[in-house]
Amino acid sequence: MLNESLDPRVNRLKLGHEGEVVTIVEGENWNAYEVFHQEKRGAHHEHVGSVQAPSAELALVFAKEQFARRKRCVNLWVVRSADILAFDVEDEDMFATNLEKTYRDASGFKVMEKINKFKGKK
Amino acid sequence: MLSQQAIISLLTKMGDDALIIGHRNSEWTGLGPIMEEDIAFSSMAQDKIGHAWALYRVMQEHLGGQDPDQFAFMRAEKEMRSCHFVELPIGEYDFSLMRHFLFDHAEAVRYESLENTAFEPLQPFAKKFKGEIKYHLLHADEWVLQLSRGSEESYARMQQALLHCMPLALGIFETSKAHEQTLIDEKIYPGEQALQARWLDRIYPVLSKAGLNLPGIESFTPVYGGREGYHTAYLQPLLDEMSSVFKLDPTATW
Amino acid sequence: MYGGGYIFDEPNKRPMQDTIDDPVKLAEFEQRIADGHKIEPGDWMPNDYRKQLIRMIEQHAHSEIIGALPEGTWITRAPGFKRKLALIAKVQDEIGHGQLLYNAAQTLGKSREAMINDLLSGKSKYSNVFNYPAETWADVTVIGFLIDAAAIVNQVANAKGSYGPYCRALERICYEESFHLKQGHDAFIELATGTPMQRQMVQDALNRWWQPIMHFFGPPDKTSVHSEKLMKWKVKMASNDDMRNQFLDAYVPKIWELGLTLPDENLKKDEATGKWLFSDPDWDLFMKVINGGGPCNAERLQVRKWAEESGRWIRKALMNPNAARSFPVA
Repeated sequence: MLNESLDPRVNRLKLGHEGEVVTIVEGENWNAYEVFHQEKRGAHHEHVGSVQAPSAELALVFAKEQFARRKRCVNLWVVRSADILAFDVEDEDMFATNLEKTYRDASGFKVMEKINKFKGKK
Repeated sequence: MLSQQAIISLLTKMGDDALIIGHRNSEWTGLGPIMEEDIAFSSMAQDKIGHAWALYRVMQEHLGGQDPDQFAFMRAEKEMRSCHFVELPIGEYDFSLMRHFLFDHAEAVRYESLENTAFEPLQPFAKKFKGEIKYHLLHADEWVLQLSRGSEESYARMQQALLHCMPLALGIFETSKAHEQTLIDEKIYPGEQALQARWLDRIYPVLSKAGLNLPGIESFTPVYGGREGYHTAYLQPLLDEMSSVFKLDPTATW
Repeated sequence: MYGGGYIFDEPNKRPMQDTIDDPVKLAEFEQRIADGHKIEPGDWMPNDYRKQLIRMIEQHAHSEIIGALPEGTWITRAPGFKRKLALIAKVQDEIGHGQLLYNAAQTLGKSREAMINDLLSGKSKYSNVFNYPAETWADVTVIGFLIDAAAIVNQVANAKGSYGPYCRALERICYEESFHLKQGHDAFIELATGTPMQRQMVQDALNRWWQPIMHFFGPPDKTSVHSEKLMKWKVKMASNDDMRNQFLDAYVPKIWELGLTLPDENLKKDEATGKWLFSDPDWDLFMKVINGGGPCNAERLQVRKWAEESGRWIRKALMNPNAARSFPVA
């Protein structure tokens, strides 16, 4: 038996006895949805975390207060975490040569160098 | 010249309802059924308390009212104008959710009606709260729908909560004997009867989509009294608790 | 809020045994951390890394939702609109932090349900400081100011750790903690600069909370086990003593400048070393409270059990036994 709590809210609850065994079952916290936050119109939706919900509708309801109760936000997306398809993190090396492929990048073309060289010759 | 006493009576009951239901619903913070819902419900409780604060400030600025903290935390029970519905303890979550659903739809039609009120200082707030209340309704409707379609137990609980809440919810629309006609005549708001009719039009479709049975409205006896200063036995202890620190020294700043 | 600087051993004292990890992969893993890269959920990681991270993030998450209770004690009594709204918002944030942290821990493979069950059964611990009662309004201001400040010291350090999902959660948490600290400090100052009665209230609260605050970062480094590997893996980012010293350095002057006192006559800074000196807190009491002997351990767990039990019909009604489980991805 507890002494009276300092929390008047707690004194209004019908608490179980000390040592009571309470167990929740797997799945009782529902399923995960990833949350994407759009800060302003025109901006990308960015991943900010996840919520556990029984449906996409409630996931969106929950996401609004867990991920957009402060700061600017104009829209949110939710998507079932299980529906995210991603590369294995081990496959990061597939991207490793990206930076070497300078023929895809403006920095790979030294126009001014050529012009200056031409001008220098004149 | 609008009738100030009438407007004060309207704003006081609206503010008191918002303060008391916000106070009640905030009791769930940290104790909710799942963390995500705990957070959502807490936000809405904060919004309600914020609405009360804003309404009391309108009275202070435009109607010679008291400082909002003094008004909220120092008033005697008989001066409060909250309806009985908001005073009841949080009970179980089915009751709290159903109260939230019925109360927030009532609040929505009330604020919509105030967007063009003849008492102009209220208009910006009616518009400002619109988005918040829209979320409250989205939340309430979704829960009523999902739980009514959830399990046998959850359906039974929601149905029972609805029947339990209806007479109390009708008490939101108790008219002010002294001021009702003035408020309508001066186009401050359309009156409780009109709001109640609009409210019923809003809740029926959701309840029927949820498969919940709402008997004819005439079968309920509305629980009145709050608007005239007669309250449930729960209000005085709530006020004592809410103001216990403030009253240690009401002249101090906290 | 509250990382709590201290990773508790589980009651069964499961040792940090060296399970056999592939030495090549282990070397790559350690190199990656040494290079300042983050570890992400799908990465190979040593068993102990996973286990210790789960233990730490889980304890942090429990500390948030249990930490909501002592402050929640004053939600219905907070004086005035501003304090009332700020306190509700703050306690709400603690639940929000719990949510972020449980989800981060889930990426390591332990379900939220399993973590909650370990909390309810007492198998998994939470920060000791929440086993003490918040007796008056002033206690809330001391918690909001000083316990949050202590938590920030810990969390800012941990946010530079190696596990991506935990760092991301902590980044958001630290941002919100700065609001907690500010509102706590503001409410604390209001009392400290207020009427004689208010000053007495806050002094009494400081006296009550000082020992739990000194316990907050855990036992001295010399008695602490298993830190070295955790430091190398950037699971634990700062030593107990360092964090305690950093906290004292930043906050003791802020208390003293208000003419308030702390109940330790040996507390002073050694200007030569930059280290704070203090009386050794009662570490036997600390252990006793961890093991269930504190003034509020029983109530905290009973209230948590009530919350789980009373929400069960809702969670069960919307469970879909046919849906495949879906866990957070990042």
